[in-house]
Amino acid sequence: MSIAQALITGAMLGGMYAMMAVGLSVSWGMLRVINLAHFGLILLGAYGTYQLATSWSINPIVTIGITAPLMFLLGAALHWIFDRTGLSEFTSLLVSFGVLIIIIQLVHIVWTADFRRIDPAVNTYGTESWFVGSFVFPLPRLIAFVLGVVVIAGAWVLLQRTFMGRALRAFAEDREMAAAYGIDHRRLGMLLAGASGATAAIAGMLWAMSFTLVPDAPFEWIGIVFAVVILGGIGQVLGTLAAGLLVGALYNLAAVMWEATASLLVVFVAIVLALLLRPEGLFVRSAGPGWPRFRGKRARAGQPDPSQEREVTAR
Amino acid sequence: MMRRGLIGFPLVLLALAALAVFQDTLGVSLFYITVLATLFFWVAQATSWNILSGYSGYFSFGQGAFVGVGVYTTAVLTSKHDWNFYLTLPVAAVLSTLLALGIGAVAFRVGAFRGATFALLTLAVPFILASVARLSSRIDGGQGVSVPVPDVPEPLGFQQFLYLVMLVIAIVAVAAAYAIQHSRFGWALAAIRDNEDVAEALGVATFKWKMLAIAVTGAIGGVAGSAWALQFGFVQVEVIFGLTVPLFVIVMSVLGGRTYWLGPVLGAAVIVLLQDRLAGGGFESWRPIIFGGLLALMVIFAPDGLWAQLKARPLLTGVAAAAALIVLFVAGVGDVLDRIVLAMLATGVAAFWPQRLLPARLRRTVAAPPTTPVAGAPPSEPAPPEPTAHEAHVPARGVAVPAADHDAPVAIECRDLARHYGGVRALDGLDLLIRQGELVGLIGPNGSGKTTLVNLLSGAVRPTRGSIHVAGRDVTRLAPHAINHAGVARTYQIPRPFESMTLHDNVAMAIMFGRKPRSLAEARSRATEYLDFVGLVPYAAARPADINLHQRQLLEMARALATDPKVLFLDESLAGLNPAEIDNAVEVVRRIHTSGVTIVIVEHLLRVVNQLAERVIVLNRGRLLADGDTKTVMRDPAVVDVYLGKSGRKVPANDSGSEHA
Amino acid sequence: MLEVRALDAFHGHAQALWDVSLDVGDAEIVSVMGPNGAGKSTLVMAIAGLLRSVRGQIALNGVDLADVPAHHVCSHGVAIVPEGRRVFAQMSVRDNLLLGAHRRGARAEHAETLARVEALFPRLADRSNQLAVTLSGGEQQMLALGRALMARPRLLLLDEPSLGLAPVVMDEVFDAITTIRADGVGVLLVEQDVERALDISDRGYLLIEGRIVTAGTAAELRGNAEVRSSVLGL
Repeated sequence: MSIAQALITGAMLGGMYAMMAVGLSVSWGMLRVINLAHFGLILLGAYGTYQLATSWSINPIVTIGITAPLMFLLGAALHWIFDRTGLSEFTSLLVSFGVLIIIIQLVHIVWTADFRRIDPAVNTYGTESWFVGSFVFPLPRLIAFVLGVVVIAGAWVLLQRTFMGRALRAFAEDREMAAAYGIDHRRLGMLLAGASGATAAIAGMLWAMSFTLVPDAPFEWIGIVFAVVILGGIGQVLGTLAAGLLVGALYNLAAVMWEATASLLVVFVAIVLALLLRPEGLFVRSAGPGWPRFRGKRARAGQPDPSQEREVTAR
Repeated sequence: MMRRGLIGFPLVLLALAALAVFQDTLGVSLFYITVLATLFFWVAQATSWNILSGYSGYFSFGQGAFVGVGVYTTAVLTSKHDWNFYLTLPVAAVLSTLLALGIGAVAFRVGAFRGATFALLTLAVPFILASVARLSSRIDGGQGVSVPVPDVPEPLGFQQFLYLVMLVIAIVAVAAAYAIQHSRFGWALAAIRDNEDVAEALGVATFKWKMLAIAVTGAIGGVAGSAWALQFGFVQVEVIFGLTVPLFVIVMSVLGGRTYWLGPVLGAAVIVLLQDRLAGGGFESWRPIIFGGLLALMVIFAPDGLWAQLKARPLLTGVAAAAALIVLFVAGVGDVLDRIVLAMLATGVAAFWPQRLLPARLRRTVAAPPTTPVAGAPPSEPAPPEPTAHEAHVPARGVAVPAADHDAPVAIECRDLARHYGGVRALDGLDLLIRQGELVGLIGPNGSGKTTLVNLLSGAVRPTRGSIHVAGRDVTRLAPHAINHAGVARTYQIPRPFESMTLHDNVAMAIMFGRKPRSLAEARSRATEYLDFVGLVPYAAARPADINLHQRQLLEMARALATDPKVLFLDESLAGLNPAEIDNAVEVVRRIHTSGVTIVIVEHLLRVVNQLAERVIVLNRGRLLADGDTKTVMRDPAVVDVYLGKSGRKVPANDSGSEHA
Repeated sequence: MLEVRALDAFHGHAQALWDVSLDVGDAEIVSVMGPNGAGKSTLVMAIAGLLRSVRGQIALNGVDLADVPAHHVCSHGVAIVPEGRRVFAQMSVRDNLLLGAHRRGARAEHAETLARVEALFPRLADRSNQLAVTLSGGEQQMLALGRALMARPRLLLLDEPSLGLAPVVMDEVFDAITTIRADGVGVLLVEQDVERALDISDRGYLLIEGRIVTAGTAAELRGNAEVRSSVLGL
């Protein structure tokens, strides 16, 4: 396979990773929850699609009409718990780790550890490919890519153009001021967490369409998806998309040029390097005040970090 | 104290070793030996994890990496290179320590890698190692490695041998955790956990201690991993580097309690026995659900863990444990292990039962805080301590220099000091010279750069340009702890005490790691002097949360003073105080100055600056506006402008203003 | 319109306000002066509902706001221009303004309000697509003021609008405040710059160490020696 082909295939795969990462990224950036349970929602979405496609022969793409609303509710419900128990960014990581373990095990119990794959008769995209010139575009990858781009670009437009989107961005920057201008963080948080859940359902569907399902799949995703989140810039929607494509391409390139098992290694090394050079993410416009060298946690509304000066943070 | 405590460990070791050696005589079944061997492994792992993540608060998902290095070192060397098992142990220790130091060197160098980011970074490490192992056929190659059974010393069987190896490792691990907790090392880590920036400013070389902690964690994790390879017999990448190890060590430590050396041991005991019973009872598939749920619930409802609860309710939990054991043995329920697990659960319920659902008689009366923190009235105590009583305690530091002396040696000198944040020039080219023995007021409107200056001079922030000299020594590029050792201490506008320590220990911390580092015992014995100096002795045993703002600010001063500084920066130490408290604080500041410490006081209350300072420096928009003796500066039209607005100077500042009426 | 009675406020352990009572009427500019650290910002935050630990009464047209969550306080017609401006740095000028109109009562008319605000501050219209962080201090202050006006408030809380501004810009900002008052909006102005504050105020209060020590009309306070000396700490 040529390098160009490897890059194209990888970037298309990256659309799916971006889809997995976007919900995680916005709930980290805007709600200050590092939700490992998001991977559980993706897994449930994937098995949901599998089950619907297998039991009632529903077209995999159509299944998101059912799984996305369900995952919306589940995501919102989880956030309700996170919010009511007043978890910090850090404890949310631990609690959601526990929830992730529970979801994986439930999947184990319901669907067993056997490999599952949607019947090709239902999943007609599974094996098709399009050819453009000498390049091959496997259809499931193409769908993942297109859906990823459409959904994430759509989310970006919503964030930019609507009152709700502006409210979310404002809330992410300064909760106190957002509240002073009438933004109800509880409602908004549930809505955003629900929307993240819905993207998890779509990501799960994409996975189910292309790959074989196993309950332990989230462990494969965690590393690469967090790589996308961090590289893209936490809470940055378009950055996540770009990072997804980049990581996907790099991942696939390493697999093709070197060896499949090495690709994760290459991606991680690239990420550690990137983090050392640009800790805020690759695609973040670095406007605004630079970080003091020995900074603590990001200052939060209501509890400003005293080590950062009020006078220069120029909110 | 620590040495005496450590004697217990060999005794426990001998007693438990006897269990395996005289297994037949004692009638212990092999089953218990294997369960205990597993328990010892997890005790070692959880304790190892806890030294970094519990003590210092740097939560890691990467324990599997150290375990994996240990497992694969032993597996590969014994199977593919015919090494003796014993020889692989030190190699494993060295390799995993090196890995740990490598992680530390990357993560601890960058300030951004704290909290969640560190956790995620460590999450990636096992994945990387797993792909390396899978990739290289000289390690695993995706095939798995079978580990040969080593030659076991004569009367022992393989299980007894494994038991003894695991036992020794576990005891060494727990003894190390105990020793660390009862030494300066443990105190440094606790300070880092409570507030790393403050620890650094008080002279704790945080980077060094964190590297040490992660090295110990790596070494123990690796050695225990070595022995684990034997237990497996056949090792596979997925099993070793999966999430089982991090999940288990985190659940165990969180359950048992992360801040105490015994916490992970307790947690490991509960989890291992529970896991065994669940597997035996046919609930195997529910195990992760129970552990995951336990982790989530513990983090939300009882983040301090079992140990803290046992300590808070010794009677209740003791009775519950004893009663449950007696009932179960009399009734003859299940086998011994069943009874122990059930009794543990009963104890756990007693420990975590919500306070408000307890019968009133059993409710532990919470000790009333010494003062009501949010009382409207000025606190009646502490009465301002009598000044005479303190002169004797003042740490002698040469002759006191009561007034500014123009020939006194230079304490601090900065040249062209600037700090920009993006386009904002918080401080823009400041030249400043402060002599020993001065008491200087630093004032200016909000945003004028006062706090930036304090942050720069204490090393919390690096200057964009310019230089800083302390007593003639260039400290411009030094880390905050080194600047502290050069003789600079500071307080914070919003007090930032180590919340988990008593007032006494807060001060002891500062003595221990300050300009003249001292041993733990000496520091603890001298802490009272400094508390006395600010009048906080009655609260020595209280925690910072239980004292009011004024007292917290006095604690800040005592703690800064305890590092034995030459120059002390007080950053708005009087903000939010009532008039009586302000007077007391002014008195304390005077006393500190009289003892020979050069003081720079940042203050909004000009009344206080007028009272205290002989010299005033006024900043405005990051530049020096005025510098001189207090009276002159306060009448400087430019200064009046800054405070009253342009038209303010129409009336001379010393005038009664009557003519204007 | 605004009646504050016997207000105590706390920052964690520290009490910051003791028994503060004050009034602001419709179309009135009332300034609260005092040295740094006197509790002026605390007062503003408490009225805006951003400080939860308060005791006492904060009534707006007879509705008690003391226990109302911040995001509802806004819908009663209170808008804040906080200390340090706190504009949303990573959002565009236009988005900052539109965010001000988030509350239900203001959202429907946002286009019309936006036109008025941009007429008041033409510079904001010129820079509507720039990120707020790229604005100068004075422009950010105008943006913060504009954002507050977008909420169509009846009561405007201004916390040190002159902070860090060049004198020319300060004039512009203070002119805008008088224009706003002309529309019938009550203004509570917290200011360190005593002279400038009194120039545009109807009445004023002097707040020292958390307590109101003097109140009066602007003219009365202008000659008051206590006001001067307290701010200078003499």
